[in-house]
Amino acid sequence: MNLLGLAQRNVRGNRFRSAVVFLCVLGLAGFFLSTTLIIRGAETSLRRGLDRLGADLLVVPSGAEAVVESALLMGQPTSVWMPGELVDRIKSLPGIAAVSPQLYLTSGDVLVVGFDPASDFTIQPWLRQESKSLGKGEVILGAGVNSTTGNFNIAGQSLVIKGRLDGTGGALDMAVFVNLDTAAEMRKVVPSDGTAPTPAGSYSAVLVKVKPGIDISKMALYMVQEIMGISPIQSPQMFAWFRDQMNGLLWGFITILSIIWVLAAVAIGLVFSMVTNERRRQIAVLRALGATRAFIFRSLLAEALILGTAAAIIGIVLAAAGVYLFSGQVSSTIGIPFLFPSLSSLASLLAVSLAMALVTVALAAFVPVFRVSRLEPAIAMRE
Amino acid sequence: MTKILGIVILVLAVAVAVLPQFTNCQYEGKAITTAAGTTVPMKCLWTARAEIAVGVPLLAVGAIMMVSRRRSLKISSGIMGIVLGAFAIALPEGLIGVCSSAMPCNLVMEPALLYMGSIITTASLVGLVMAVRSKDKEL
Repeated sequence: MNLLGLAQRNVRGNRFRSAVVFLCVLGLAGFFLSTTLIIRGAETSLRRGLDRLGADLLVVPSGAEAVVESALLMGQPTSVWMPGELVDRIKSLPGIAAVSPQLYLTSGDVLVVGFDPASDFTIQPWLRQESKSLGKGEVILGAGVNSTTGNFNIAGQSLVIKGRLDGTGGALDMAVFVNLDTAAEMRKVVPSDGTAPTPAGSYSAVLVKVKPGIDISKMALYMVQEIMGISPIQSPQMFAWFRDQMNGLLWGFITILSIIWVLAAVAIGLVFSMVTNERRRQIAVLRALGATRAFIFRSLLAEALILGTAAAIIGIVLAAAGVYLFSGQVSSTIGIPFLFPSLSSLASLLAVSLAMALVTVALAAFVPVFRVSRLEPAIAMRE
Repeated sequence: MTKILGIVILVLAVAVAVLPQFTNCQYEGKAITTAAGTTVPMKCLWTARAEIAVGVPLLAVGAIMMVSRRRSLKISSGIMGIVLGAFAIALPEGLIGVCSSAMPCNLVMEPALLYMGSIITTASLVGLVMAVRSKDKEL
């Protein structure tokens, strides 16, 4: 009988103990992959959202930073607004390359983003060429908005669909994009959060691009000094509350993972200690028959690795499928947007999870296996 | 091994029958209001009801796979498990369907049925292959 055959027989021989090791590794690999996927998915979504925003500064009414960020990131309704003349004042500041106002409205579950196609530099670059002239009564849909026909009905209007954006995993997937004329019509019937409609000519936020070579932080400070009632948010600091939440989540996951890791390693180590103790005589017979210490060591380690590999693969498949299918629920439960990582990124995560599970099994089993492989046959037989 | 597969199918069969009853839009208090003012249940409710008809025979499949020692019974329960698992998936995915993407049934019920249906189908397939390859004699 070869080494693998012996290991397989031993796995089948003690089903309960094999099941304990199997479940420990399955849980460990599955939890490791699912937490990594959630954190990576949130990061991917945040990065994609920031790329999509494409502005150096997001100028919002003073005190409304969190509200606007919530609208952009989680699609929560907002009724904040600032007067339209502020856009001209921002535009007139030295060092400003481009300014584009946006208006956020909410109808049911859909976030409506009104933008100015003439000055826009954040939404249209993501569209195909033919969709770039967005007129009144036309709409661009986010990736998650369903529509089976060529028209999209919202707030009593039937809008012609002109294009669709790629998914970001955030609220922008559930958003529809219209020009400011269409938004102005909708503003009459769509209350932003169930309260009074925003006044005509007002905007929710202004996206700003500064000229090359201009320090963005200094420009933000200058804006606050020059124009009262606005709050510029720098792109890298955008969604700061979301990053805080994600950091908290990450530390929570790391803590739980560490506990699970230690418990799983201890349980696997204990099981292998019991297994090796029980088999002392059997191992002694093998040694007396001419099996080397290395053969004994390898056969016991192979047993651990066979169990570990099978359990880790099943755990990884179940976890990946679970996170993929329940991504919507995960996102709404923990309050962060989520985008499933790309295939290449996923492949590397799967490999890391598998390797982590196997290393844990090998390390946990190493000490008892090593000890029993050093056993003197004569002593073991006398016991 | 087929005992373990039987237990997995048995547990998931209960979940397939019960979980949709508490995760559909009607249970969450959502319904369609017609122009006449009456409320009509959304289609996810009918999917949830139909899943009971899938879950109950799946219980039998799991039980047979768990206790039976007859090769032919194991083979037929494996085939039944595959078909019923596929139905558990097909009901929300196409045969009846669920509501639009922003509705509650889309967040839990549909992915859960897809997840459980896939595991049931896979477990039944493994059980079937094992039964076909086994050398057990007919009792």
